[in-house]
Amino acid sequence: MTALAISNIVLWVAVLALLLIVLALVRQLGVLHERIAPAGALMLNRGLNVGERVPMMDVEDLEGHARRIGAPRTDGKSTLLVFVSPTCPVCKSLLPIVKSGRKDEQDWLEVILASDGDRDEHRQFAREQDLLGLPYVVSAPLGMTYQVSRLPFAALVDAGGTLRARGLVNSREHLESLFEAQRLGVASLQEYFASHA
Amino acid sequence: MGLDPVIGMLLSASFAILFASAAWHKWRDLRRFDEVFSAYALLPRVPGLRLSWTVPLLETAVALGLLSDISRAYAGGVGVVLLLSYAGAMALNLARGRRDIACGCGGPDERRPIAAWMVWRNLLLALLLSGALWHWSRRALLLTDWGTIVFGIAAAVVVYVCVDRLGQLGRRAKALQGTS
Repeated sequence: MTALAISNIVLWVAVLALLLIVLALVRQLGVLHERIAPAGALMLNRGLNVGERVPMMDVEDLEGHARRIGAPRTDGKSTLLVFVSPTCPVCKSLLPIVKSGRKDEQDWLEVILASDGDRDEHRQFAREQDLLGLPYVVSAPLGMTYQVSRLPFAALVDAGGTLRARGLVNSREHLESLFEAQRLGVASLQEYFASHA
Repeated sequence: MGLDPVIGMLLSASFAILFASAAWHKWRDLRRFDEVFSAYALLPRVPGLRLSWTVPLLETAVALGLLSDISRAYAGGVGVVLLLSYAGAMALNLARGRRDIACGCGGPDERRPIAAWMVWRNLLLALLLSGALWHWSRRALLLTDWGTIVFGIAAAVVVYVCVDRLGQLGRRAKALQGTS
């Protein structure tokens, strides 16, 4: 075997080793992309379907103002219904996020808190959590219409009264996933990433 | 002056592997490939006639034909036509705005949609394969030549897999930015 042949083989081995390293890096990039993908709000199988018109419902907030949920709005704003409960610890940790999200998205979004049960208990909860500026409705039929079985749950309804996104929200990431789902025109971020995998 | 036999063998063998792998993915689940083939909406549907199986059949024939001196020119010609047809079918569907149909390039479990870069990839592959159909010059092969052929094939396979994965990653990166 000549020196040229040996050097040729050595070079080829080096080229192949480098290529395999590139392949490993490309694979790692794929894994990283999967890991950094944002987590969307968990969609439960039951309840209204995204894209469906929500039924119009007349409810009353804690301050006694009548509100019509699901009716087409003239101001072009979407409505975010956030179902909470005074007995749910995760809801308490989510409330500051909801308040900050409401402030950030106020140009296009109205946030309404919803729950059921004793109104006095909810008033006290609203005082404790500093929710007095936030519309807070107490209505068992509202929760049943949206089939809320676990809390905290949120539903995003557009200005035309169509459900755009819904799901369990435990964090800012989950909450914002509902806004992103509406912006991207998909039912959930999970569906979006599944179709772009 | 003809094409050096080392380059010719390297190209032929690499394309034989490419076509064999493509055919293998399709043979694994012909029903799934039939759906992919129909989704391209290139031919009118004839009940009871499944033309989709001709694709893996031709791919297998090309893969085997490229390995023999006698059949290489014919197999290469069919291979070039196949690659150009894939590029044309993708370009046509992209022009129709049907960007969500599966390309059918991976295994049966893969649902990778068609993209403009795949059209360019297939055109480049067709150009490379047509290069291998050129007249080969004659010379005795040395040990280094065989090293070039064997390692070159391995390198070509890894480069193809890397480019393929990078194409997928680009799409995923766009999805993360919400711009795709």
